[in-house]
Amino acid sequence: MDSSERPMRIGVYICHCGLNIAATLDVEELRRFAETLPNVVVARDIQFTCSDAGQNTIKSDIAELKLDAVVVAACSPRLHEPTFRRTITEAGLNQYMLEMANIREQCSWVHMESPALATQKAKDLISMAVAKASLLRPLETESIPVSRDVLVIGGGVAGISAALDLANAGLRVYLVERRPTIGGYMALLTDVFPTNDCSICVLAPKMAEVYANPMIRLMTYSEILAIEGTVGHFRVTGVTKPRYVDPTLCKGCINECSGACPVEVPNEYDFGLGKRKAIYMAIPQSVPLVACIDTNACIGCGLCAEACPADAVKYDQQPEEFKLDVGAIIVATGWQPFDASRKEEYGFGRYRDVVTTLQIERMLNAAGPTRGEIVRPSTGEIARSVAFIQCVGSRDHTVGNPYCSRICCMASLKNAQLIKERYPDADVSIHYIDIRAGGEGYEEFYLRAQRLGINFIRGRVSSVEEGDDGLYIHYEDTFLGKTIMKRYDLVVLSIGLEANRDAEVVGNLLGLSRRPDRFFEIAHPKMRPVEAHIDGVFIAGCASGPKEIQVSIAQGSAAASKAMQLLFKGEIELDPTVAFVDREKCIGCKLCVDTCPSRAISVKDTAFVDEARCKGCGTCAAACPVDAIEMRLFSDEQILAQIRAATAVKGEYPFIVGFLCNWCSYAGADLAGTSRIQYPTNIRIIRVMCAGRVDPSFVLEALRRGADGVLIAGCRIGECHYVKGNLHALQRVEVLRGLLREIGIDPRRLKIAWCAASEGDVLARKIEEFVEELRDLGPVGTELAAALPSGKV
Amino acid sequence: MSEVAFTEEVIRLAGDEIRTCIQCGTCSSSCSTAHLMDNSIRKLVHLVLEGRKSEALASESIWLCTSCLLCTVRCPRGIRPKAVISALRQICEREGSVSRDASFEKIFMDQIRSRGRISEVLLSAAYALRNPDAAVPIMEMGIELLSRGKVSLNAGVVKGMDEIERIFRELGND
Ligand SMILES: Cc1cc2nc3c(=O)[nH]c(=O)nc-3n(C[C@H](O)[C@H](O)[C@H](O)COP(=O)(O)OP(=O)(O)OC[C@H]3O[C@@H](n4cnc5c(N)ncnc54)[C@H](O)[C@@H]3O)c2cc1C
Ligand code: SF4
Ligand code: SF4
Repeated sequence: MDSSERPMRIGVYICHCGLNIAATLDVEELRRFAETLPNVVVARDIQFTCSDAGQNTIKSDIAELKLDAVVVAACSPRLHEPTFRRTITEAGLNQYMLEMANIREQCSWVHMESPALATQKAKDLISMAVAKASLLRPLETESIPVSRDVLVIGGGVAGISAALDLANAGLRVYLVERRPTIGGYMALLTDVFPTNDCSICVLAPKMAEVYANPMIRLMTYSEILAIEGTVGHFRVTGVTKPRYVDPTLCKGCINECSGACPVEVPNEYDFGLGKRKAIYMAIPQSVPLVACIDTNACIGCGLCAEACPADAVKYDQQPEEFKLDVGAIIVATGWQPFDASRKEEYGFGRYRDVVTTLQIERMLNAAGPTRGEIVRPSTGEIARSVAFIQCVGSRDHTVGNPYCSRICCMASLKNAQLIKERYPDADVSIHYIDIRAGGEGYEEFYLRAQRLGINFIRGRVSSVEEGDDGLYIHYEDTFLGKTIMKRYDLVVLSIGLEANRDAEVVGNLLGLSRRPDRFFEIAHPKMRPVEAHIDGVFIAGCASGPKEIQVSIAQGSAAASKAMQLLFKGEIELDPTVAFVDREKCIGCKLCVDTCPSRAISVKDTAFVDEARCKGCGTCAAACPVDAIEMRLFSDEQILAQIRAATAVKGEYPFIVGFLCNWCSYAGADLAGTSRIQYPTNIRIIRVMCAGRVDPSFVLEALRRGADGVLIAGCRIGECHYVKGNLHALQRVEVLRGLLREIGIDPRRLKIAWCAASEGDVLARKIEEFVEELRDLGPVGTELAAALPSGKV
Repeated sequence: MSEVAFTEEVIRLAGDEIRTCIQCGTCSSSCSTAHLMDNSIRKLVHLVLEGRKSEALASESIWLCTSCLLCTVRCPRGIRPKAVISALRQICEREGSVSRDASFEKIFMDQIRSRGRISEVLLSAAYALRNPDAAVPIMEMGIELLSRGKVSLNAGVVKGMDEIERIFRELGND
């Protein structure tokens, strides 16, 4: 089988596909043509190659004729490549010794009116496939054993659900939480929409379950310091901060120690409304139920240690480092509230009776600082009139948060209802731009608020002023078209959700990308809602954007099931179609590092590709200035061979070589076929995984060999399967155009286009346009000839 | 100018963000002269987007803006409502449909632009010349103020005229 010993032996199978191919293309002639190609030892035409009979023919040829590689000229490889890979494996060939020529979707179906030209195009496609097949190498799929343990970072409701699902399925979980208790924000809320059940009542049992589950190792008051390795084996280092209380001794009685403590500070778990001591329990339902000393507040008087009946206070406790080896990581680091004092015009921090929705949640909480009463902080009296101001820190360019925080309309609807129910005579208004209540049962929740007599006033409040007798807010009632100033006892700012700054270190360690709104970016905005761009890393809950409890839980469970899928077998298969570095050639310039969307490349003297991370897009290979990076499949030499084969005859003018990305534009070209959208025969398409794979040398080679134009097509901007491959392609095209201009070739001969998999028509029209443009330009070299005074080339 | 052309012209002068207005009313409720206006700034933006040219240009509101810029500082969409006003004024002037308030506005602005401040005497005189029916009450009041030393006949020029020029440029008033 080694090609260095003897020439490759290739079999070519041309499919009639009933009449789908044979009605347009002269299959007989294609077969005769294929027989003449180098390395081809057998060529056959078959009625239906994918049928059992067809596959058996291939299998027996492989055995009897000792074939090394197989070319199937039939439908799109996106349809039957897996089928024929299986066929040849069953006959003992390596699955990668297959190449397909797409003569149905990209030939017979799109050129039904021009059988002769289409047959010529099919010949080119077959000879391109044979040229590539001659250079194929067997690739081995490697399996690596993986750790089946999972690290969950963040113990909010999303992290809790992920941890419980994993543990219940039998996987070991490390749950790391930076605060002294798990629960996240949900543990601090009052009743929760859309059913207004008590938040801690539904959450506390889950928190207790986490504590009790033997498969979960809970590490609270802990942080991640370092993460190395890749999917299957992340090596994680973290530290548990000292609480100065021995968790094995603390009984959680808290009144003894904190009763003795003389220091009072604002309680962050009440958002500054209440006070706590330097030794404290975050919430009464804390898990673990262990006290904690705040070293910033502690004056070291030693009274708590004296008071503790269990002798649990240990001033000499040290930080403890831990090391974990996990197969997957779930990031559930949640959100942080918008800092309301940034909207100076609302006076938060200046006027005591301006509070946030989070503070209202605490006030409404029976265990909160006001024991469930809604009071004016300035006087301690019950508030008779309350205004909610929506979109504070959301949908607001002036604070850099143009996005909608999605839950604050519902949170205000809820809190307004709770207030109205407690104080039916209170005047409660919600000042809004739009009420966004788009979830199951949410519109009904809105209706309920309206029926309760809550006022809905449309118009964004522009400012809040404090008067002698209360707060005055300014707004335009946009339905009345009147600007109004109105007095309230209490103003509640419905603050938005922001990306959590506490998660920055973790994000950087993992190399997670961020959206413009600063939340962590998921691998695909619709199709892969809980996967990160990095293999083995999943994101759940508000870490990837504002969302309600129900969706956070769903994402926690989804992330858990993704991690299970990945790790359950205890080993993972590595796709061998990856990049590798020729260390002799590499000059260590690091240009490749940033082009890689999967962060698979590191450079120490020379570059190194982590094959477990590499997704095979090939953008790095195209970026390398010294061609030191190669792809195991879709290699430079294979693609160059395809280009040479394509341009060997040039049976028509203008002649175009096209590079289409597998995921969108190649799929789009297939769709043009299935939709029978007709376009000119002038293009020879080469499939690449990503538009970013197109090396400048491919373009130059095509033009040098006489192609009149080169088309590069990729996914639409923002939709690249590999995040930014299409942008890299665009950048390269711009540079290349400059180069072409310099060497006297019209830069318009290089075209780049974006096309979604659903846009077969778009691609067909682009090809049509390009053919017209090239006709106007004349054959390649016209401009060179014109530039020479003698008119000779 | 057609309705579409009118909208496009305002957008050209005042910025593309106008299209993203959510009609929240932050601009109008921030406006110190909103209570005097027939149409609020918010509504003017809507009239512009709807291409309701004659209504927009006929609105007295566009001459009541004091350029305090609170609308522009606060608009959550990054729109410059003040620039919309400027654009409408400009279109009015171009089309010659200038009201009395507008003529006052122009004299006022011309003075600021050339001296960085106004001279009450020059301002009143210039205004009275263009609006003779207003001349008598203005002169009566002027004499009274002059006698009490509330207005001065000396019209100076402020320092930092280049700053003034820059402000005019930034507000799109050139
Ligand atoms: C005022 C208000 C009212 C609301 N009311 C409701 C309601 O009624 N119903 C509803 O469905 N939703 C409501 N929500 C939304 C709800 O709060 C969220 O859906 C929920 O908190 C999301 O949970 P989470 O686990 O994603 O994030 P979080 O609750 O933020 O939990 C994240 C956890 O990760 C930890 N963490 C962060 N960084 C790190 C790190 N680097 N290392 C270790 N741990 C880390 C945090 O300490 C925290 O414990 C409300 C929100 C607000 C603002
Ligand atoms: S959910 Fe409502 S309050 Fe929150 S940002 Fe969106 S529109 Fe504004
Ligand atoms: S503040 Fe901005 S978004 Fe709101 S109405 Fe005015 S111009 Fe429109």
